[in-house]
Amino acid sequence: MKHKNLWLFVSLLLIASMLLASCGGGKPKTSVLRVWIQWGDNPQQIQELFDKYTAETGIKVEVTAPLEEDKILPALTGSEPPDVLVLSGGDLVKSYYKEGLVEELSGAIQTGNIDLNDFFPAPLDQCQMGDKILCLPWGTDMYALFWNKDMFEAAGLDPNTPPATMEELAEFADKLTVRGADGKLEQLGFLPDQAWSHSDLYVRMFGGFWYSEDGTQLTANSQPVIDALTWQQQFYTKYGADEVLALSSGWADAYMSADYPFYTGKLAMYVDGEWMTGPNFISAFKPEASYGVAPFPPPADHPERANTAVVQGTVAVIPAGAVDKDASAKLLAWMMSPAIVAEEFCFNANLPTSKKAAEDPCFTSNPKFKVFVDLMASPNAKYIITTPISLELNDALGLVEEQVLHTGADPKLLLDTLQAEFEPKLQEALK
Amino acid sequence: MKRKWTWPPKLPKWKPRQRVNFRIGMLFLLPWTIGFLAFTLYPMVASFVYSFSIYHSKQPLEWVGLQNYADLLKDSLFWQSLSNTLYMVAIGVPLTLLASFFCAVLLNLKVRGQSIYRVIYFLPSIVPTVASTILWLWILNPQTGILNTLLGYIGIQGPNWMSNPVWSKPGLILLGMWGMGGTIVIYLSGLQDVPIHLLEAAELDGANWWQRLWHVTVPMVSPITLFNLITGVIWMFQYFAQAYVFRGSHSLGYPLNSTLFYSVYLYQNAFLWLKMGYASAMAWVLFIIILICTLLLLKVSERFTYYAG
Repeated sequence: MKHKNLWLFVSLLLIASMLLASCGGGKPKTSVLRVWIQWGDNPQQIQELFDKYTAETGIKVEVTAPLEEDKILPALTGSEPPDVLVLSGGDLVKSYYKEGLVEELSGAIQTGNIDLNDFFPAPLDQCQMGDKILCLPWGTDMYALFWNKDMFEAAGLDPNTPPATMEELAEFADKLTVRGADGKLEQLGFLPDQAWSHSDLYVRMFGGFWYSEDGTQLTANSQPVIDALTWQQQFYTKYGADEVLALSSGWADAYMSADYPFYTGKLAMYVDGEWMTGPNFISAFKPEASYGVAPFPPPADHPERANTAVVQGTVAVIPAGAVDKDASAKLLAWMMSPAIVAEEFCFNANLPTSKKAAEDPCFTSNPKFKVFVDLMASPNAKYIITTPISLELNDALGLVEEQVLHTGADPKLLLDTLQAEFEPKLQEALK
Repeated sequence: MKRKWTWPPKLPKWKPRQRVNFRIGMLFLLPWTIGFLAFTLYPMVASFVYSFSIYHSKQPLEWVGLQNYADLLKDSLFWQSLSNTLYMVAIGVPLTLLASFFCAVLLNLKVRGQSIYRVIYFLPSIVPTVASTILWLWILNPQTGILNTLLGYIGIQGPNWMSNPVWSKPGLILLGMWGMGGTIVIYLSGLQDVPIHLLEAAELDGANWWQRLWHVTVPMVSPITLFNLITGVIWMFQYFAQAYVFRGSHSLGYPLNSTLFYSVYLYQNAFLWLKMGYASAMAWVLFIIILICTLLLLKVSERFTYYAG
């Protein structure tokens, strides 16, 4: 009898503890909101920011950051999604919406009284699908040309004058590319895909994109895409792709260190984002670096494309499974308020997506950062067109880019194949 | 006499003591059983079901029959990932086996500091995968890495290990061989079991070191070789973490999809492209490939494996 009771007791205990563990306490009844942020170099600072929301409303906010990209799907599909999810980019938002994972936000915009006119149009565009708004941009990134003034001087170029056209950039790059006494490459003038691909920017400069503007057609083998790849290819083939690859191997991984080739005088020009001009990158790793930032130059025969830039960056969504949608909406509205946007993105040196926040002196006082703020207001600033097949297509395009740049392949043939493969996929996905 | 079957079957009557023991036994088994059911059996069954569907996390499954499997056959990336993986299985596994066998033979020699050498060769295998892979990214850096610098001293211009698709897989194999301590230890234990009298008899008959190794040691450790071979093949078919880290900050499969291994492509489909059904089909195809390979190895090995006694 005694044993029987023990057995019963222990098994009940076990089952009870398992139920508790598996349900995680069920739907949260407490007033704790959870915000998950995919990037987030400084989780503590972000938590402190959201603590202000607690101070204002008494509602506790728990921040989880950063997240690996493969945690996003479980975050959205799990039984307890976060109340607000901040993604690194808008690429997948449309796919998520199609899968029923994120909320359409018009209700939240109304509840939270969010002023859509305060958003810069380019970053907001990536969140729109027809008349639906699926996400709200929260800080964003843009890209421009960085040049090392010391290296310009050493090559006999005016350190204060960046190239004015894409053709001139190639000429400058030639002068800035240096071989040692043994004939080995020691220094590169320009690397088109340093750290990651910038084909989106170059394709825009050549006047197109790999989707039609409304995102309903694939135009991967259109002339602008071919031109952009061919233009980039010269920076490899001219100096020997293998040599360029050997020299630049490991450069991308040195991004967050003082060994970054742009600081060590190994790379004279490249494309990078606004955060580099803030306190956490160049000023932290190489404070004495003498460098300039300018909008990437247009092709010589299309001066009207000056100030063309692509916008991509953080967006916030409300998961479809969020428990208290009103609470999520209010928190989202608070996050989008100019003061909070200004504080968060001043600290991290990212572009504010709120027009009012952009007037904050912290964004305009640094002339190098101001280059990006001005770019965002440029009519040529475009968001990156996204579709439900974006991620898969980007991987395939990345492979084509690698083949063209690194092995000297002919872009036209590869892009024709890609077009034939992906156009049906896009049409299927858009159904 | 025919036994009569009844339903429910009549079990022999247990004494109270036996019943209690049975229950306590089951209770101790419970944690594992629950874990197995919830985290192994259920996911396996679920993935089998998903493999015949397009998976939508919040909407009902969309049945497509064998479509996912048919699509696999037409998917060039699937074939590329499979051939990358087979490269590693066909070249990486035998190379590692051979190298670890010879290391074990050397470490088995009665020399001064034997245990220190053993520790040195075993140490790398306890370094976490991610850490060792990052370390090897430095070693293999074509400009500043120690390997190409050393090759340079003997007049060899080292390749672009990380950005040349021809050399990326050999680079990964090197990395794997550095961490083969586990295999060496298993071989070492096998070598200790090689009967001395056989080696001495061979020596008396005039066999030299190589002949003793080839005709006595190798057959005696053949069950160990088989074990290492099968575990190595299974492990290599699931090769993931090193490839995931080795690309650095480049896209999966860099350079030119030469490190897009089967599991990497599966992961990409499932967790990045949200094609859970397709990835499930891939997982089952992998399961079948591994099953066939293992059975084949066991069958073929019958002729080469010697079980003493």
